[in-house]
Amino acid sequence: MNNFRIELAEILEVDGVEKDELLSSFECWDSLTILSIIALAGENYNVTLSAADVNNSNTVGGLEELIKSKRR
Amino acid sequence: MKGFNPYSHDGRHYLITGAASGIGKATSIVLSRLGAKLILADINENGLENTRHACDGENAILPINLADLASIKDKVLKMVDGFDKLHGFVHLAGKTYIAPLKSVSEEKCREIFTINTHAAIELAKIFIHRNVYAGEKGSIVLVSSVYGLVGSAANVAYAMSKSALHGITKSLSIELAVKGIRVNCVAPGFVKTNMLDSASDLFDSNHAETLKRLHPLGIGEPDDVAYSIAYLLSDAAKWVTGSILNIDGGFTAQ
Repeated sequence: MNNFRIELAEILEVDGVEKDELLSSFECWDSLTILSIIALAGENYNVTLSAADVNNSNTVGGLEELIKSKRR
Repeated sequence: MKGFNPYSHDGRHYLITGAASGIGKATSIVLSRLGAKLILADINENGLENTRHACDGENAILPINLADLASIKDKVLKMVDGFDKLHGFVHLAGKTYIAPLKSVSEEKCREIFTINTHAAIELAKIFIHRNVYAGEKGSIVLVSSVYGLVGSAANVAYAMSKSALHGITKSLSIELAVKGIRVNCVAPGFVKTNMLDSASDLFDSNHAETLKRLHPLGIGEPDDVAYSIAYLLSDAAKWVTGSILNIDGGFTAQ
C-alpha cells in the first residue's frame, strides 16, 4: 500500500492527499471518481469494493483502512 | 399449411459461446427447444453442465478459455469431429469493463478485446473450415450491446470491443455471402443477468432507477434476446445479412 496515496491523489486530480481529508471534499468527487477508486482497488490491490463501500469510508484514511482490511 | 415453420431449427447444429449463463444459457435452451443440436462452450464447466441439463435433446459441452485464442481452433475442430458439422455459431461470451478513462488499463483492454471481439473473428475463421461448416444455411450471430451503438461514461474499453463487432458483422457478411453464410449482430439493452447484478454494485442506489428509465419497455429478460438470435439463425431470416438488430426495450429509440 506504499503508493496508495499517490495513486489516490492522481485519481482525485491533486498533488497529494492527507489521511483526514474528506473524500467528498475534493472538487472532482463524483460517480466516475468512485468508479476509478473501485478500479484501482481491484487492479492494484485485488480488492472488490462497491460504490457504497467507497462512500461509507468517508476519508482518505478510512478508504486506506478499508482496502487494507479487505486484503487480509 | 401443416409442417410449415421457417423458425424451426430441426437438423441444425450450432456452437454457442457464453452458454453457461445469462443470455447464452437462454439462447441455448430456446434453440434446443426449436430442434437444434448444440455445442455449448464456456470457461465455466459447471455452468455448462447446468445449461446442458436445461436444454432439450443431446448436446455437447466444450469448456474453453476464449482469451487463449491460439487454443480455440484445435478444441473446436476436435469437438466438431465427434459431433456434426455446424450450420452456424453465436458469439455471446463477453466481459464487461467499467472503468473511467483515467483508470483504463492496457492489459485489461486487451483482455476485453480478445474475448469480446477477436474471439469472434477466430471463431468465424474456424467455422468456414471445410471440416466444420455444413456447407449450407450458414449463419453467424455476434452479440454486441447498446453500448456499441450509443455512448456511456466509464465504458470506453467495453464500447470499443462491442462497436468493433458491428464492423466485423458488416465486413464478414460481404466476404462470406458467397459461401451462403449470413452474418448478423444483436445489440441487446440491459437484461436481468448475474453480469448486470455484479455491475450494479459499482453504482449508487439510483442506478436501478436510471436503468429502468433508459428502457421504455423495462429491463429485458434473457429470452427476449434469445428469440432474436433464434430468428437470425433461422430460415425466416434467409435474406438478412450484415444487420445490427437492436433488442433493447426502446433504449436506442430515444
